[in-house]
Formats: sequence, C-alpha cells, structure tokens
Amino acid sequence: MAQDVLNALTLGSLYLLFALGMSLAWGTIGVLNFAHGSIFMFSAFGAHLAVQAVPLPMPAMIAIGVGIGAVLSLAVQVLAFEPIQRRAADAHTAQLQIIVAGIGIAGIPLAVAQYVTRSVPFGYSAGTFEVTVHDLGPVRVTDVQVVILVAALGIAGLIAWWLRAARAGLALRAIGVDAEVAAMMGVDRRRLALLTMAVAGGLAGLAGVLLTYHLGSIAPETGDAFLLKAFAAIILGGVGSIAGVVIGAMVLAGIETLVLVTTSGTWAPAIAFGVLFAMLLVRPRGLLGRMEVRRT
Amino acid sequence: MTTWLSSHAVLVQSTLVSLLLALSIQVPLRAGVFSFAGVGSYAIGAYAAAIMTIRLQVAPVFAIGVGVVIAAVAGYLLALLVARLAGLYLGMATIAFALFLGVVAVNGGELTGGATGLYGAISTLTTGHVVAITGIVVLLLAVSERGAFGRRVDAVREDPQLAVSLGIDVGRVRRRVFVVSGALGACAGGMNSLLRTTVSPETIGFHLVVTALTMIIVGGALSWAGAAIGAVIFTWLPTVLQFVGDWQPVVYGVLVALAAVYMPTGLLGVAQSAWRRARRRGLPADEQDRPQADDPERALAALQEARP
Repeated sequence: MAQDVLNALTLGSLYLLFALGMSLAWGTIGVLNFAHGSIFMFSAFGAHLAVQAVPLPMPAMIAIGVGIGAVLSLAVQVLAFEPIQRRAADAHTAQLQIIVAGIGIAGIPLAVAQYVTRSVPFGYSAGTFEVTVHDLGPVRVTDVQVVILVAALGIAGLIAWWLRAARAGLALRAIGVDAEVAAMMGVDRRRLALLTMAVAGGLAGLAGVLLTYHLGSIAPETGDAFLLKAFAAIILGGVGSIAGVVIGAMVLAGIETLVLVTTSGTWAPAIAFGVLFAMLLVRPRGLLGRMEVRRT
Repeated sequence: MTTWLSSHAVLVQSTLVSLLLALSIQVPLRAGVFSFAGVGSYAIGAYAAAIMTIRLQVAPVFAIGVGVVIAAVAGYLLALLVARLAGLYLGMATIAFALFLGVVAVNGGELTGGATGLYGAISTLTTGHVVAITGIVVLLLAVSERGAFGRRVDAVREDPQLAVSLGIDVGRVRRRVFVVSGALGACAGGMNSLLRTTVSPETIGFHLVVTALTMIIVGGALSWAGAAIGAVIFTWLPTVLQFVGDWQPVVYGVLVALAAVYMPTGLLGVAQSAWRRARRRGLPADEQDRPQADDPERALAALQEARP
C-alpha cells in the first residue's frame, strides 16, 4: 500500500514536471504547445545519443536533456508561434493556428527518433549511473525516485514563488490577464514569452531524462501519451495555476495507480480522458482556476 | 475514366473517406465550434457497420445507416452536455470523448473484438457507391453554405453575440452542427470498415484527429472545397513523396507547420484572394473604389437577411 502511494507520487511528479511549463505557457502567453510531448521525448533521445558516444554521469545527462528541451522549445516559439501571433487577426484564430502548427512540428522530432531507433525503446545503459535501491521499512525507493520527487516539488514551489514575488513574475501574470494593457504598462512581452517557452522546454527535457532513468527505457511514442495526460492534469487543476497543476498531476496519477492496482488495468488509458471530460462538464475552469476575464 | 478508377480504386476510396471525416470537423468549424466529436463518430460508425455486417449480414446501407443514426443521436446529446464550453476547452472535451471511445473498443469484449478488433466485415459496398454517397453529401453541404442558412452559420461563427441580437438561435445552430458532424463522421467510419473489411482500436486513435485537422487547415477551413483540397493532397502525398523515402513524415510535418504559419486561410483562401485581386486589376480605374465582396455594408445586409 505504502509502495503504491510512493509509485503514484513518482508518476505524479513526472506528470507535474511535464505539465508545469505547458500550463504556464497556456495560462499566460496563450500558447498551447502540442509539440511539447515531442520536445520531451527528443530531449531524452538526445541524451541517449550523447551517452552512446561518451559514458556520462547523471547530472551531465540531465543538463543535456534540459538544454535540448529549452533550445527546441525556443526554436518552435521563434520559428512558428511568434510569426503566427504577429500575423493572426485575433487571439482565437492564433490559438487554433498554434495548435495546428504544434501538431505539424511534433511529427518532425518523432519521425527522426523513430527513423534512428527503428521504433525500438532506448535507454541510458551506456552511462556511468547505476540505480541503487534503498529499503525504508515497508517501501523500496530508488535514488531516481528521490531525484524526481525533489525536482518536481522543488521546481513547482520555485516557480510559484517567482510568479508571486518577483517583478517579472507579476509581469507574466499581467500578460495572462490582458496582454495589450500589460504591454502598455511597459512589459516586454516577447522577452517574457521566450523565457516562459525556454523554461517549459527545459522542464520537458528534465522530465524526459528522469522518466528514462526511472523506467530504464522509453519508446519514441511516449511523448504523445504524456501530452494527453498533461491536458487532463492541467484542466483538472485549472489552466495557469501552479498549485492546480500540482494537484491535477497528483490526483491523475493517484487514480491511475488505483485502477492499475485494483483492476486488470485495461481501462487505465481511459482515466485521463474520463477525468478531463468530467471536469470540463462540472467545472470547466478547473479546481483552482480563475474565471476567464472576457470583454467583447 | 473507368480503367483509371479501377486501377486507383483504393486511393479514391481513402480520399473520399478522408474527405467525409475532414468535413465532420469542418462543418462545426464553419459555425465557430471547435469540435473533434466527428472523430468519435467515426469510431461509432466504423464499429457499428462492422458489427452489423458480421453478426446480422445486413445490406451495407443499413449497416452504415445504423451507425449514422447512433452517431447523430450521440452528437445531439454531446451538444447538450458541452453547451457551456467554447474554444479550446470544447476541443479538449471532444478529443477526450473521441479517445475514450477507443478505450471502450479495447474493453468491449466479444462485441468489439477487444484489442485485435473485428475482421471479415465483407459487404457489397463498391467504389461507385462511395462516390455517389460522397457526391450527395458534398452537394448538400455546398447548398447549405449558400442562402439564408449559410449566412446564419457565418454570423454565428464571426460574432455569436451579434448573431443572438439579430434573432439567430445560436444554441440551435450549434446543436444542428453537432448532429451533422456526427452523421458525417459515422458515414466515413462505416464506409471505411466495410471497404477494408476490418476495424481495430489502432485505426480510430489520435492520428485521426491529426489527419482531419491538417487536411482542413492546409485546404481551407471555411468551405467544403477546402476540405476536398486537403483530402486529395494528404491522401495522394505519400505516392508523390516516395522519392524522400523514410523522411516522408518529416516533410509532412514541415508542410503542415508551414501551412499553419503562412497560409492561415488554407490553399482555398490563397486561391480566392488571388482570384479577387486578379478580378480587381481587370476593372477600369473608376470602378476600383466600388464596394467589394468584403464591404462592411454588404456584410451587414447579409446578416440582416439571415434573420429568420
């Protein structure tokens, strides 16, 4: 039982790392990045290629994953999403185009990774890092799980604090409420948007490398599954709310683990969709989301 | 013509099935409703047609018809459920609905054949039937884009508040759009199952959402013709792109991204604006300032005419 709770928390932390940046970008700069899952997978894949060439320790692998994620995310923002937002007539059409562009771009890293790996799962067995298991009374915890839990909750806390306390955090939240008024008040929208996308991509890369360490190996298609779960976690908690994503990710992982443990598990993939749909029907803005301010 | 048709039968079939699926997303989009329920209806239609054909050996028209009726009813109920949602949230809810049905198909036991799906749905459906059905559907949709009804739908898309103030029942237009979308999706799914004689959970997954959406965006979202352009391009592209070999998905992704960034109105929109410019250049100088198709006054007149 305690072991199941720990596993659920680990899974939830991975969802959280993945969904945190997505939720932030959606709630503030209005970018719902469908290529996020692809960036996540390709960062883990890039680290895999690096470790095949040179046996690297875990911190170096994490740095590579975060770096690749941030660079890819910035590239997508500069090459696709910025031109769309500049050219689109209004925010609604821009959102739709950003989704389609994201879907198109998502196929590119996926195709490259599938071509190179021939769709065989890849891992970091060539690295210098060995997983050690600690027995703590009723539970067995690996040091990878410790890193995942600490990283996820630490980073979520850090971003929540930054949004609340820092001047730039306030500016980013202001963009989320009304981008034009924020720009009139002297907020540099472009710089903050780039920063948000870099952080989101870096977190996706971190989640990708840690997931690969946690599971031993991942397939190129893992990104799509994570993307759909992240939607559920974000909607559940409320778009743009950091505490909301934490709750959403943990609740989703908790329900999934519960279903996996108590049933044969064939319904497990439906949980994310069911939760997403039910939440949108009952409370579309999520558990902790604020009402969308709309002026027409 | 007939020899060409018989040698390319499979390609023609998948083009038309893709067209109907794309239309099931395009019809709601025309009314400003961002719904992927058509993909869920595709799943309903695909399984209903296969089950009816295998178990009861009914004629294809009944097998597909049952799916169409179920999906249209499901579409109506879904429209009532999600009446409060709009924009991306509506898109998310309908994606969740569509993908949930895929998991239901895996868990359906003997009825849906579980993860392996259903085989041997052999029927008398031919390419000619598919061409005829698609032709009728496209004709009806083309008619619905004109006249008072077409203008009413345009008004609902462009400005729902204004449409309400003009006496248009926005809720009713949205519900109708969901029903039509459900019927179109189920028709596409049913025909696909019977043409391929098989259906499995893998054939109704997330990739259908991607395919349908890219077809509409590249072709053009505001008319059936855009969906037709997209369906032709993306069904025939693999045969054209054979020279790039394994890198086909990469080229595909780049094309979709470029289209989304630089051609937001799709190929149809690009062609229409080029046609309009060319016609304007042909007019004498004093006619150039005359009101054109995009004139606000004419748009207003069209909106007022749309009042029932």
